[in-house]
Amino acid sequence: MQIKALSADSLIIYFSDFISKETHNEVKSVYTTLLSLKIDAFIEVVPSYNSILITYDIFEYDYSSIKTYLERSLSSIVEKEEKSSTLVTIDVYYGEEVSFDLNRVAKLNKLSIEEVVEIHTSKIYDVYAIGFLPGFAYLASIDDKIKTSRLETPRKSIPKGSVAIADNQTAVYPQNSPGGWNILGKTTFEFFDKSLENLSSIDFNSKIKFNSISKEQFLEQGGSFEF
Amino acid sequence: MSFRVLNAGVFTLLQDRGRFKYSHLGVTNSGFLDEYAAFTANRLLDNNLDTNALEIAFPNLILEATKNTTISITGAYCDFFINDILENTWQTHSIKKGDILKIGKFHSGQRVYLAVKNGFDTNKEFGSNSTTLKEQFGKKLEKNDILPFHEHSEFKKRRLHEKFLPKYENNLVLRVLLSYQEEEFSKEEKEKFFCSEYEITPDFNRMACKLKGEAISSNLDGVISEPIAYGAIQIPKDGQPIILLKERQTIGGYPKIGTVLAIDCFKLAQMKIGSKVKFEQIDIQTAQKKLRDFYSIFS
Repeated sequence: MQIKALSADSLIIYFSDFISKETHNEVKSVYTTLLSLKIDAFIEVVPSYNSILITYDIFEYDYSSIKTYLERSLSSIVEKEEKSSTLVTIDVYYGEEVSFDLNRVAKLNKLSIEEVVEIHTSKIYDVYAIGFLPGFAYLASIDDKIKTSRLETPRKSIPKGSVAIADNQTAVYPQNSPGGWNILGKTTFEFFDKSLENLSSIDFNSKIKFNSISKEQFLEQGGSFEF
Repeated sequence: MSFRVLNAGVFTLLQDRGRFKYSHLGVTNSGFLDEYAAFTANRLLDNNLDTNALEIAFPNLILEATKNTTISITGAYCDFFINDILENTWQTHSIKKGDILKIGKFHSGQRVYLAVKNGFDTNKEFGSNSTTLKEQFGKKLEKNDILPFHEHSEFKKRRLHEKFLPKYENNLVLRVLLSYQEEEFSKEEKEKFFCSEYEITPDFNRMACKLKGEAISSNLDGVISEPIAYGAIQIPKDGQPIILLKERQTIGGYPKIGTVLAIDCFKLAQMKIGSKVKFEQIDIQTAQKKLRDFYSIFS
């Protein structure tokens, strides 16, 4: 764990130089501990794949005192068990009306469409980072069998709710957006929901599983094929 | 009714200090691009610093008052009229029901701030009135919009002392704290970075300021996506520095050499395209002291 000053009022904690489940668990333990300290002077605490940024009140701490405080508070963290994570199941319609790149992913990986869907829905994913857009959660890791690189030419507009994969990660576009990920399907699940006090029903501690549903179910849930 | 928008101008946004505590969900802080001007506007009115105000990036905003109030106007030096009479900026003005306010041509600076006593009475979204169009928080001001405020008839004439008035010039020194991946930039590259003059390109908005000049290179193609601090300087493959501002993405994977001091980012917000900037190194203690001193002047 390495702490570095980033700007006058923010610092970063770096973990390993890799993206891995081990690193993610380490980041999650420290992140959970930081939140549990309930320090008012922490204005933002933002975790990512292998780092955590803290923006703090510089009238409460200077860099050297906050670094000392963090080193002390985080020195004896025992990696927390994963039992406290919440599992969120997300219904996805993988039909041809919405799965623009499902054929491509199937072909490139020498699988049938059904097999791609089966593999995509069989794993429980961790949230490795949230960014790019509010509620855009980078979920990892997808099975090697369906790993597919991004599109060479990104799309100018991807419909909100599109479920996508790129390399070994998967994500859902929380709003209409440009993007280069491979679209496998669509969901009505809101990743960015202004009606929620917390803005989202997923966060860094969530675990996510996708569930394939029929066209009828998708439409019943309010799904649409329009952009 | 309070202000009726007779003409909105091309890009007028309601802002406040920013939207905090949601960055971990990908929500950018947003907020006043030039805190010096915006906080002064609020201070002149004895408003809390976080009180909302209009951030006006182009001329021709025309408002009609349907109630009495006091306003303050700061930021870019511009032609400011109340009922067709040219008035000074960086001070308060008494506004009576029926008055027409107009912001005309900008002479220097890029953003005008217009604040009203006790702020506009609009609902906050997740703790803030800051507009972030990309995230669908707030919207651009449009003709016929109503900006409600509470009537206030007591007038206190206040203006900022001349010696504190900013000068918006064509060149600026940006103080930089080396951080992030600075060790991956060689001594020679760092020297180049601090000795070169960079030009502000047209790629300059609330999200970022892209510069043109000596290409800087590091040992890295990219980094694992990490959270982005305000003022972070990205160095992408083309070596042209990009300074990230109030509407930056919360995480990103370009190599970064450090961050520009917030105070200098506020000054940057008032610079026009084609202006020149130079970077100067600063250490963490000095950076913190300067930032503390800056915020202290408003209390």
